Amino acid sequence: MFAATGLLGPAPLPEENLPSDASGLFKSNGLLDAGSSCNDQVPGTAMPHEPLPNFQLNGLLGVQAPTESFQSTTSLQSNHILGELTHNTTPPDFSFTSTGLLGEPSTVENSLSNTSFKTSDSIPCDSQPGVTHKSSIHTTSDYTTAGMSFTRNMLLRSPSPTSREDNLPPISEAFDMQYTNTTSSSKCLPSRPASSFVRATRYDGQTLLLRRKVKNFMPENQGSSTAYSASKIGNLLDIPVHRMLDSLYFLFSLPSYSDSANSQCAQRSQATDSSLWVDRYRPYNFTDLVGNEKVARDAMAWLKSWDRCVFGKSKGRKRAREDQENFELDEYHRPNEKFMLLSGPPGFGKTTLAHVIARHAGYEVMEINASDARSGHVVDERIRPTLESGFAIGSTKPVLLVIDEIDGATGAGDSSNTFIHKLLQLVLAKPKRNPRGKEKQIKSVIMRPIICICNDYNASSLAKLRPNAYQIRFNRPADVHIAKRLKEICHVEGLKADSRALATLVNASKGDFRGCLNTLQLIKTRNEDVTEPVIRRATAGMKQADTNVLSVLNSIFTPVSKKRAKNFVLDEEDETRYVARISREIDGSGRESTVATGCFGHYAKLRRHDATLARHEKANEWLSTYDRFSSAMYTDGDFALQPYLSYTLVPFHPLFKERGGEKVERNQTEWEHLQVTKTNEEIYKSLSGCLRTATSRSCGDFRHLVSSPILQVEFAPYINRIISPPLRPVNSQIIRPQEKTLMNRLVDIMAALDLRFVQERTEDGQLSYRLDPPLDVFVTYDGKRAPDISVSRYAVRHLVAGESKIDAKISARDTDIVEKGKQGKHHFFGNGSRQKGANEGPVGGVRPEGQDIADLPPTDFFGRLITVPTVASLKASNKIIEKPYRVSYKFLEGNSAAVRKPIKVGAFM
Amino acid sequence: MSLWVDQFRPRTLDTLHYHRGLSERLKSLASSGDFPHMLFYGPSGAGKKTRVSCTLRQLFGPGVEKLKIDQRVFLTPSKRKIEVNLVQSNYHIEITPSEAGNHDRLVIQDLLKEIAQTQQVDLGAKQRFKVVIINEADSLSRDAQAALRRTMEKYMSNMRIILCANSTSRLIAPIKSRCLLMRVAAPSSEEMNNVLAYVARRAGFDLPPEASDKIVEDSGGNMRKAILVLEALKMQSPDLTGPLTIAKPDWEVYCHKVADLIISEQSPARVMEVRAKLYELLSHCIPPTIILKTIAERVVDKVDEALKADIMHWAAFYEVRMRVGSKKIFHLEAWVVKVMSLYKHFFYNIDMSEFD
Repeated sequence: MFAATGLLGPAPLPEENLPSDASGLFKSNGLLDAGSSCNDQVPGTAMPHEPLPNFQLNGLLGVQAPTESFQSTTSLQSNHILGELTHNTTPPDFSFTSTGLLGEPSTVENSLSNTSFKTSDSIPCDSQPGVTHKSSIHTTSDYTTAGMSFTRNMLLRSPSPTSREDNLPPISEAFDMQYTNTTSSSKCLPSRPASSFVRATRYDGQTLLLRRKVKNFMPENQGSSTAYSASKIGNLLDIPVHRMLDSLYFLFSLPSYSDSANSQCAQRSQATDSSLWVDRYRPYNFTDLVGNEKVARDAMAWLKSWDRCVFGKSKGRKRAREDQENFELDEYHRPNEKFMLLSGPPGFGKTTLAHVIARHAGYEVMEINASDARSGHVVDERIRPTLESGFAIGSTKPVLLVIDEIDGATGAGDSSNTFIHKLLQLVLAKPKRNPRGKEKQIKSVIMRPIICICNDYNASSLAKLRPNAYQIRFNRPADVHIAKRLKEICHVEGLKADSRALATLVNASKGDFRGCLNTLQLIKTRNEDVTEPVIRRATAGMKQADTNVLSVLNSIFTPVSKKRAKNFVLDEEDETRYVARISREIDGSGRESTVATGCFGHYAKLRRHDATLARHEKANEWLSTYDRFSSAMYTDGDFALQPYLSYTLVPFHPLFKERGGEKVERNQTEWEHLQVTKTNEEIYKSLSGCLRTATSRSCGDFRHLVSSPILQVEFAPYINRIISPPLRPVNSQIIRPQEKTLMNRLVDIMAALDLRFVQERTEDGQLSYRLDPPLDVFVTYDGKRAPDISVSRYAVRHLVAGESKIDAKISARDTDIVEKGKQGKHHFFGNGSRQKGANEGPVGGVRPEGQDIADLPPTDFFGRLITVPTVASLKASNKIIEKPYRVSYKFLEGNSAAVRKPIKVGAFM
Repeated sequence: MSLWVDQFRPRTLDTLHYHRGLSERLKSLASSGDFPHMLFYGPSGAGKKTRVSCTLRQLFGPGVEKLKIDQRVFLTPSKRKIEVNLVQSNYHIEITPSEAGNHDRLVIQDLLKEIAQTQQVDLGAKQRFKVVIINEADSLSRDAQAALRRTMEKYMSNMRIILCANSTSRLIAPIKSRCLLMRVAAPSSEEMNNVLAYVARRAGFDLPPEASDKIVEDSGGNMRKAILVLEALKMQSPDLTGPLTIAKPDWEVYCHKVADLIISEQSPARVMEVRAKLYELLSHCIPPTIILKTIAERVVDKVDEALKADIMHWAAFYEVRMRVGSKKIFHLEAWVVKVMSLYKHFFYNIDMSEFD
């Protein structure tokens, strides 16, 4: 509810009412839309005593100021002191203050209704530590940390419960209501909702806005009473209100003393110099987050679903909300997805989100990022102990593991030693497997949430993690949001910025908030105003960072157009000085070889008239120069040549640039060539494998044909001719003697070389025999076979296959004998891989071996006769069919060690 | 059953068909008991390896023909596994280090040391040493050759090395000086005819002299090729009568097509066409050097006398670059464009640059 008001009225605070010394702070406060949401409730508590806190503050400072120097470190100390003092109320001087502070709440209620005007006054003092970070006009980063440690300090000491009860709800309402699903034992206060409600209606000027927000928010709270939720939230707060107030006073005091000591401007400039804007404006509260609200809410909801497991507050009733966010909990009340995987491009605030929600939900963050070693043993050495104990060293908050840049961790592959694998093992381990005592088992379950952050969602190392992770992907937030926040920051920093320039900046950075801020800071240090040309100049590097090969190629082959010239802030002179520009682009792409291939692929396509091919000559000269450079670089490891590589490709620009020329497209030729080459190399490899086998079988006969150029240049073309004689498809019984010898010779050679015809069925159902290994590719150029080789027809191949099989078997048996000594037990079952191939036979291994295949007609899977559909073989197959056939059975293939042997059916009779 | 190339390969020095003088010398060397390291060099298909195995047989007797084939795995420093095939008998071992590519040094170092440090176990062996045959010695890397030098001297008592190479130009001088150089020249056409006739007789048919002449002419002094062609021819047209066409290897035919393309037109479009064809050749794993050589020879055949020298010069020029470089297609195309440009200039005999 209050968050809503905060959002609605970012700065509903009349400035006139401010105390003079706080005006600076207030101003900055007002700028922060989200951050200021905390303003609303604090007024409720502090408002009646507004003068008092100020006074006290001054008083406090009055006591302390003399002792402390104005340096931030000492102020940090004082801060601590302040915190302790207010708490313990030991020294009498300060007991007044602390009691005064603690006493406030009681009066708050009373005065709430009648004071409407003063609320605004009190606002300056209720800026939270987080808020002050944002509005760091007067605080250096040192102060920021001071504030942090201060708050932590407070947490350690449990605040007095009574005062806290009273104080808390309004503050907690500053945070988004939906994160209040922790249950608490505290009773709900009936007055609470009333007061909040009253306040909503109380402001006359703002009533309208408040109402609208209330309406929006109501449905979410319908399940439980508003009162209930409000009181519940109380326990969510890390920091009790009075602590916040304390810190507030402290912060409040700063401008006052800085005023007295020095001019505020000086302070500010000092601050500017000392820290990066990225750090200074990093969101510290959930409500500060910009853009991607859905993402932030989802992430928070996931984290909150751990509460029952981590904080063990299971006594409270289940909230209606929890039903909506259906995180199914397992037996340990953990959500089913043990990880959360945040993914998105850099600068979108992933890490920040993780830290913010962790802090918000009350965890201590343990971060592991790329600066740590991230191999598997890290899991055992660092992560496991921490997660099992559940607390970081020296901390009382439960630990939350943030693994940043997890896509860089080891995890790809099947190795069980990778980071991801170990992590999964650790978290998903089923304790039941441990055969130990029951307590032990439960202890080994990891009860802490883990947030993983990555850029590349599809990284191969994350493959195993993804199914177990609650995945949240960051989208580019609307430019408007970023631009708005940038504008605020510029305003705070006193940087003049026009909206268009900022929009350009956001656009150029593609939503990278960090990049935007850094650019702005750069501009600020140069004391420039933020205008479009300045932005263009500053983001020039950003644009170049992600040049891909295609864009590089396009800029090589096309002259710079007017429009692009404007984009790049180039003038005529730059246009003529292309060398540096293009070589930088090529370098930037980082893939010179791809660019070179692209140039090679494209230059010959261009149409410009080149009568003597002079330009082509030059281009080729440069290409071969490039190749010499690069291969010298890679073979000799002489990487000093690297910077020169890009220059060898620059000449393509003057040679071939042409306006309106064909656009460079991704060239597939090279890639296809590579694929084909690889396939053919494989075939050569299997062919040489065949030759080697043949060598060992026939006492070193073929070995001289294996060596590299001979195999491709001489053996491959001629063996194709040798194994494809012009045979006629006739039955082996009636074949002419001359052809018979030819065929025997053919079969002999094929068997010796382990060449086989493998039966296959084409798409249209026709049977065909394929040569295996497919040597015929070597006589096939441009998809055409050599004309002098007769096409061997199905029937011929069938004939040969039949014969060939027998021979293959014989040769297999031969080698069996040879190799029996070596692999005594193997030969009995498997016959080794080579012989297995031979035994399988060409005809799909359906028929038993040892039968004369020539006597058998082609049969289908079930052993039935089939007529061969090819016309060419019709005659032959008819003849085959006329033969009486025998029934044959084949043992089922399987993993049995039984002796397999073809037996005639007669044997069973 | 083997191919004729292997089936009718001479097994002893006495049965070798040509280079009698060489055979005699080898024989006397083998029986002298002072067998040196040797380097056989000569064109492909001249019979180097046949001679080597005949010499081995002369040295050790028929036991050397009991071969077994092994695969040895070498581990590179970067933990990559390299498989090298070994052919070995009790008395010798035959390796092709170029199978290991850039890591041939490892093969040489590990394997040779291992062999060199073990003495001949077989007491009945004729010689005290083992022989290591290194095939394709001219493709040994510089490192490997350097590794070879010292080993050749140090382990002389246990080991002799026989290198086989096409030319000695790529071998470093120290290696050459440690070896006895044996040049095996390509056989003359008459010798080839004799061999073919012998093969035909052994295979049981008559080879008409015209066919034999044609084969010899076509094979260019490569005996292995000639016998392969003969066998292919016999398979294709068993009666060997009538007009015979000697089948050229397909890649060669294709290379000739490319050459014709280059000559018939010179334009960027034609460059693209030629490029596609070159890709096709390269993807069939035809060595780029051979492609360049074949195309260049064909082009030279067809162009005017005045151009021949230039074309060959540039072919040589780009061949060197190709060996140095890694993107073969770049250099092939560079040469093609160069030839086209030369041809065009020559054909029009005018300076065309003004037309640009």
